[in-house]
Amino acid sequence: MREKKRPFGKLLMILAIAFFYLPIVYMVVFSFNEGKSLTSFTGFSLRWYQHMMESGDMMEALYTTFSVAVLATFVSTVVGTITAIGLSKSRKIIRNIMEQVNNLPMMNPEIVTAIGLMLLFITFRVEKGYMTMLLAHIAFCIPYVILSVMPKIRSLDPNLADAAMDLGATPWRALTKVIVPQITPGIVSGALIAFTMSVDDFIISYFVTGRGVKNLSIVVYTMSKRVNPSINAVSTLVVVIITIILVLINVVPLITAKRGTKETIGKRRGLVPVVTVCMAVVVLVISLNLRGAGGGDRPYEGQTLHIYNWGEYTGENIIGDFEEETGATVVMENFDSNEQMYIKVANGESYDLLVPSDYMIQRLIEEDLLQKLDKSKLDCMDKLSDAVKGLPYDPNNDYSVPYFWGTVGIVYDKTKVDIEDLEREGYNIFLDEKYKGDVYLYDSERDSFMMALKALGYSMNTEDEGELQEAYQWLVQCVETMDTEIVTDEIIDNMAQGRKALGLIYSGDATYVMAENEDMGYYMPETGTNLWSDAMVIPKNAENPELAHAFINFASDYDGAYDNSSYVGYTSANQEVMDVLSGEGGDYEGINAYIPRTDNENDEVFVYNATTKQIISDLWSRVKIAASNAN
Amino acid sequence: MKRFSQLAIPYIIWAVLMLVLPMGLIALYSFMEQGNSIIPFSFTLEHYITFFTDPDFLLILWRSLVIAVKTTIICLLLGYPIAYYIARSREKVQNILILCVTLPMWINMLVRTYAWIGLLSEGGIIQRLLGLIGLGDVELLYTEGSVLLGMVYNFLPFMILQIQTSLSKMDHSLLEASADLGASPVQTFRRVTLPLSLPGVINGITLVFLPAVSSFFIPKLLGGGQYFLIGNMIENQFITVGEWNFGSAISMIMAVIMMLLMMAVRKIEIHNQGGKGAEE
Repeated sequence: MREKKRPFGKLLMILAIAFFYLPIVYMVVFSFNEGKSLTSFTGFSLRWYQHMMESGDMMEALYTTFSVAVLATFVSTVVGTITAIGLSKSRKIIRNIMEQVNNLPMMNPEIVTAIGLMLLFITFRVEKGYMTMLLAHIAFCIPYVILSVMPKIRSLDPNLADAAMDLGATPWRALTKVIVPQITPGIVSGALIAFTMSVDDFIISYFVTGRGVKNLSIVVYTMSKRVNPSINAVSTLVVVIITIILVLINVVPLITAKRGTKETIGKRRGLVPVVTVCMAVVVLVISLNLRGAGGGDRPYEGQTLHIYNWGEYTGENIIGDFEEETGATVVMENFDSNEQMYIKVANGESYDLLVPSDYMIQRLIEEDLLQKLDKSKLDCMDKLSDAVKGLPYDPNNDYSVPYFWGTVGIVYDKTKVDIEDLEREGYNIFLDEKYKGDVYLYDSERDSFMMALKALGYSMNTEDEGELQEAYQWLVQCVETMDTEIVTDEIIDNMAQGRKALGLIYSGDATYVMAENEDMGYYMPETGTNLWSDAMVIPKNAENPELAHAFINFASDYDGAYDNSSYVGYTSANQEVMDVLSGEGGDYEGINAYIPRTDNENDEVFVYNATTKQIISDLWSRVKIAASNAN
Repeated sequence: MKRFSQLAIPYIIWAVLMLVLPMGLIALYSFMEQGNSIIPFSFTLEHYITFFTDPDFLLILWRSLVIAVKTTIICLLLGYPIAYYIARSREKVQNILILCVTLPMWINMLVRTYAWIGLLSEGGIIQRLLGLIGLGDVELLYTEGSVLLGMVYNFLPFMILQIQTSLSKMDHSLLEASADLGASPVQTFRRVTLPLSLPGVINGITLVFLPAVSSFFIPKLLGGGQYFLIGNMIENQFITVGEWNFGSAISMIMAVIMMLLMMAVRKIEIHNQGGKGAEE
């Protein structure tokens, strides 16, 4: 009966396996792609592997992922097993209560557990970082270990340990020589579950980490907005590591069993190689991770600089060069909005250097979160463009040194959009149903409201609630009638590939898009735009302001600034770099987006206002919800 | 023997600190007026009222539940036959098939979800294949369909493994007995196999539904910025808006809804087992 052919079942099984493995195979294949595209394979190359190896971020993340997993597995297996044994001998009421408590992380949505732990660490002022991540992993792993060890203990003869002790064994010996060997299968499967959960975890790690400590999931999440085939390379590496571990787990016990050893011993032997392999992997990753030690007389040897910067906002070499020259280690954490950065800084997380925007700098100064720069340590101010110095948010540049600057405008596909429509309608082109389904909005509350307010002819710094409400209605109409997509950095690659006709974009991203695809244009409506600048500042609670000053000089100097600007596409605050890149033979020759507009009197700089900010922030959440509900 | 019970004490303390206290903190924050510090504490129901009086928020909650239900149903419909096929295979084949299903789960969820972006995006392999049968213009990525696909992809293995476990525990002589007594295969399945696999089905439903409701990276990666579910709303409150009190309130609401649903599911399970006992 069992041998009966079941074509339907078989077909479904094959399809299911194809479904499960398709993305994995796809990822492995594209990790060897020569080009940057995720859709067309242009040739074999190892460049993404090289890129991965050179990227301190990714190797660090790989190390964090596996070292946290190994430690969390070890601790939770030991503690979980001991607890399970203890609980099995406890009174029933305690056992029942603990069962309920243990169910908490399993029966709660993961995000709730994550937020609970985050609030815990923040409330008790535990600095978030590697340690908090490890503690959180241990916390959610132990219940799984207990859950898988418990049934094995229940099936044990309760008199076993007593018998051993009657025969003269100490309790410790009774535990290790009698009980533990009997429940080994449960311990092993508990450890495996713990390891899997830890390696795979994203949500909890994401909320409890800090100070630039990232595991693989967090790196993928923060990098996924821009096409980055190195993610495929690092994923392939993980696939290889995991496959090796799994094969060992499954094959080794089979081999030992064939040798005729007794079952329990065979299983215990199986554990040894598993642990060895895990350790070996970690050691390997650590050794890969160790950076070549340089000469001994560098000024900041062994010190660490914590930078909190926008994602994809530094050049390819600047960090490495800075580390090389100073001997310091740079730990970089990325944010994708000023607000996200503010929340962390305001809640006491410590960084040495931040790169916020104008209005946010104003807010940080007002709330006394920044320290004054020591101008005697800065040698870069003269090299910067006059247009970005002495702006209203920091009139004497007491707190901030400009990094990038630019405008906000409309990126458009010249082959699809009539320039006359743009000139006639300005931002109102985002309400023109001719382009329905062909528009990107940018997920930034400030700039979306800037667009709406400017479209309506108001100041983008208005404090008038009526005007803000009108702008809100404008945006709601846009998302409800235009079938928009609200994106962040995805817009860069998508516009470079000409996927949509129009989008609201930062000038620097437009520069990159135009350099990649000559059909793309950049237009700033006459009704005005946001003339923004991002600058380097040092928070009050910085641990190494000395080193932060050194980095400010390094990043403002010609080489550093050139690397940043030519790689990222944003306009450098360094005048010479800007001239060279936009001049004859420069990377961005003839690209209008690279040179910020300075001659339109409707252009403004953002001013921070707490009440308005709150209103805009609230309304923007609602616009997004409206967009979501319109789909 | 009793002295072993002391072994549990350190963990009980730990569990109170790391599992119970965090939940208490969420509750505390959710009843607190503005501000990210718990001292001074001032009680308010404002955040709950805001949530429940706003049709937009309720719609988001509703949509999150609907998509989770859809995911669960699809996983059940696909997962059951697959689990059945595995459970009825020879033991060696069974082990290999289980390994095949588990292996992808070992590879980071985000990484696997990320891979779908390339597969589904415009000009990607799936769209080109659809183009061959004249459906080339269908937009795949950043739709509800892609979010659903991402969820089914990530959570289907949980369903398969749970059902398979309970099916393979089943005593096969029961099936033979049923056939001997003249039951048709369909009858046998309905009256014997299905009831016996129910605990697995219920566990599977729990394991799929729970993460599906609260997932926020799948909608974000595959749904785009305009696809908002309750998980995204919570993330948004904590990471970019900074209103932890309101975020905590939404978390509490979600946790309570889940708890109620789980209790209901458990009820069904107990009821079912009770029914079976009565039949015997």
